[in-house]
Amino acid sequence: MADVTAPAPIAPAARAPKAHPFRDVLVKRLGFGILTLFIVSILVFAATQVLPGNAASAALQNTATPARLHALEIQMHLNRSAVAQYWSWLTGLLHGNFGTSIVNNASVSSLIGGRVLNTAVLMLLAGVIGTVIGVVLGMLAAARRDSWFDHGLSVIALAVTALPEFVVAMALVTFFAALVWHILPAVSVYPPGVSPWSIPSLLVLPVATLVIVIVPYTFRMMRAAMIDALESDYVEMAKLKGMSRWRVLAVHALPNAIAPTIQVIGLNFLYLAGGVVVVEYVFNYPGLGQALVNAVSDRDIPVIQFIVLLLAAFYVVVNIATDLISLAATPRRRLPRS
Amino acid sequence: MDLSRRDFVKTAAAGSLALGASGLLSACGINARTVADVVHRVPGARKRGGTLRAAITGGSSADTLDPLSAVSNADFSRVNNLYEPLLGLTPDAQPMFVLADELTPNATATEWTLRLKSGITFHNGKPLTADDVIYTFRTVLNPKAPAAAAAGLASIDAAAMTKLDPLTVRIPCKTPFATLLQALAIPTYSDIIPAGYNPAAPVGTGPFKLQSFTPGTQSTFVRYDGYWQTGLPYLDEVVITDYSDATSQVNALLAGEVDVVNLLSADVIAVVESQGKNILISKGGGWNPFTMRVDVAPFNDRRVRQAMRLVVDRPQMLEILFGGHGTIGNDVFGIWASDYDHSLPQRHQDIDQAKSLLKAAGHEGLAVQLVSSDIGQGTIQAAEVLAQQASAAGIKINVSQVTVTDFFGTSYLKWVFAQDYWYFNFYLPQVSLATLPTSPFNECHFDNPAYDSLYQQAIATIDESKRQELAYEMQKIDYTDGGYIIPFFPPVIDGYGANVNGLIPSKGGLSLNAYDFKQLWLS
Repeated sequence: MADVTAPAPIAPAARAPKAHPFRDVLVKRLGFGILTLFIVSILVFAATQVLPGNAASAALQNTATPARLHALEIQMHLNRSAVAQYWSWLTGLLHGNFGTSIVNNASVSSLIGGRVLNTAVLMLLAGVIGTVIGVVLGMLAAARRDSWFDHGLSVIALAVTALPEFVVAMALVTFFAALVWHILPAVSVYPPGVSPWSIPSLLVLPVATLVIVIVPYTFRMMRAAMIDALESDYVEMAKLKGMSRWRVLAVHALPNAIAPTIQVIGLNFLYLAGGVVVVEYVFNYPGLGQALVNAVSDRDIPVIQFIVLLLAAFYVVVNIATDLISLAATPRRRLPRS
Repeated sequence: MDLSRRDFVKTAAAGSLALGASGLLSACGINARTVADVVHRVPGARKRGGTLRAAITGGSSADTLDPLSAVSNADFSRVNNLYEPLLGLTPDAQPMFVLADELTPNATATEWTLRLKSGITFHNGKPLTADDVIYTFRTVLNPKAPAAAAAGLASIDAAAMTKLDPLTVRIPCKTPFATLLQALAIPTYSDIIPAGYNPAAPVGTGPFKLQSFTPGTQSTFVRYDGYWQTGLPYLDEVVITDYSDATSQVNALLAGEVDVVNLLSADVIAVVESQGKNILISKGGGWNPFTMRVDVAPFNDRRVRQAMRLVVDRPQMLEILFGGHGTIGNDVFGIWASDYDHSLPQRHQDIDQAKSLLKAAGHEGLAVQLVSSDIGQGTIQAAEVLAQQASAAGIKINVSQVTVTDFFGTSYLKWVFAQDYWYFNFYLPQVSLATLPTSPFNECHFDNPAYDSLYQQAIATIDESKRQELAYEMQKIDYTDGGYIIPFFPPVIDGYGANVNGLIPSKGGLSLNAYDFKQLWLS
């Protein structure tokens, strides 16, 4: 028992320089994150200025006469300088005002609020379900390494990673909604103001598409990490101690395999932020991706700014969260470097 | 005279429409068809009630309920049910009185007298009167914020319009405007809004009134019980949902989640029909031309323009783009108008002549850039097919594809060689928009003094047959000198469920009975 208590005095000594790894990482990364968002906002605004045409010409299309364009540009306040437009947007933002859509004069928060929720539900459901399935399948495949089950899953995973999400979506729609069976809705059209969970059947195919797209990555990482863990000395030790197979897997191998997998899970969530655009498009799902595509073709700068910043903020937050969770899952990284 | 629609299509397809349709509209336009002639064309007993679910592409967060700013198909699908025009189009694309009862010009076409039908009310119960008409025209033609229709109605002197009695309006024109009746019949151009119109609580005289509207997403309408056309509409409710993608639109139709979908591609006809759904194909009068600027090289040489027109294999283009549906074009617009000249020889592909014209013009091995965009049905494919066909004559067309917003951005109307899309319009009103030096959308920069003088004569000519002769002369110039290549008039292909009744093909170029849902019923 002596060797169990022996390291105890070492730990406080090693932490003597008052290391706060979580706080340090958080503060540093948050600072960089805010700077990133600021730069993104400038870049996006500059990009909207470089694009030919503006919200007025986009709205008028082939009915744009010089008189109509001029009148609409004044109505949309597009006759101000680019710097003035950016400045009024930025100061508004710092006062908690996300701006007003140039195109239909509604506040950006009222236009986009519901869509943020819709997209969040889609991403969260797909992310959580995809992660659980990927981790469990990865564990099982590693536990039965080189069995038909393992080989079959690996081949399927490899094949699915080669499929773009719209192919997966179209295949699901063809089989379950439009042509073969008519058992699920082919499109996910929610009446405005209706929350996504009030009609769960509409979520099935979009979520399934995203799950199918992300599971292979989690699965393959989890399988590899798990195989590493299973080959380690401590697992060998646990087996020799006569622990049950599942206890070895769940208690000894899993916590060590999860750390590298967390990075992949984080990447999956980041991918989802972009992947939803295609899925929302195919299913006509009223989310952020669809709103962004619309806003870009309408040249609705405040809406573009808001959505891009929101997505950028999501990237920053997921990156920080991924690092913090990996830190939590890897105790030795919390020790100060000597 | 009455011409059944089927006969009409046959005659038109044979390219010998002759004067068949022109009888519909007399010199003074008093005989323009009335609504009653075209309602109830489809046999069978009607069933009342139900909700029609429409999946419509073309919308965005810029969607509007204001008929004076309507641009997209999604806009038209809403405003054509909320509001009504003074004049509209019959399914054969001829002018038809709707809110107007009579429209008569004076001898010099400088003043028109409009009489409204009586007993028509807006959704708020207010009766339709001359004041609403005057208010609408003054709003449309407001010099500070002109509406979409302003370009086509510019010679109306809105400030001088006067009310003669509660249902009669005098419409003075700054310059002779013999084609006013035709110009007003173009979709949404004469939609009437009530005096003091409030866009936040929009009311019209249409068969459906607004219940809810979320731009870019969905809008719902319910039947207006006070609608003036007795017995209509049949439906209780209409739900219009914006779709951004044609594939999801078709999926929704196949899965039975929507009842009608607009503007499909010819590729999906077979799959839609194999699943027990229906396809509605209309020979639309809209046109998607190639535009060549006649004021800059190489197209300032008319031999080059003629060569470009001669390299097009029109039937092949129609076959590739629309499975052979639609109508072959002859480089002249306004195909269903009574003053369209069907006697001009149909232009066919002639590579040898194209080559010799190019040689004579010193442009052998011509290389040009064509700016293309997904602005209308099949536009991008049309550009690719044209590039392919032109290569036979040694012409190298480099297709440069831009987004729709870029296309209509700062370079719109300035591209040297590009494309455009137009809805159906009558010949002379279309000229005023596109081919005169004063036209707001003169994308070819066409400027031909003989043509202009013919137009000035025509626009002051009340006698329809004389005006038609002048129009024919102008079309000869379009045909030999113009900057447009008009290879085809695209078909309008819509899909609908087996439960939907009352849809008939319409030549105006808009989908689904020109989005007029009052005659549809569900079984």
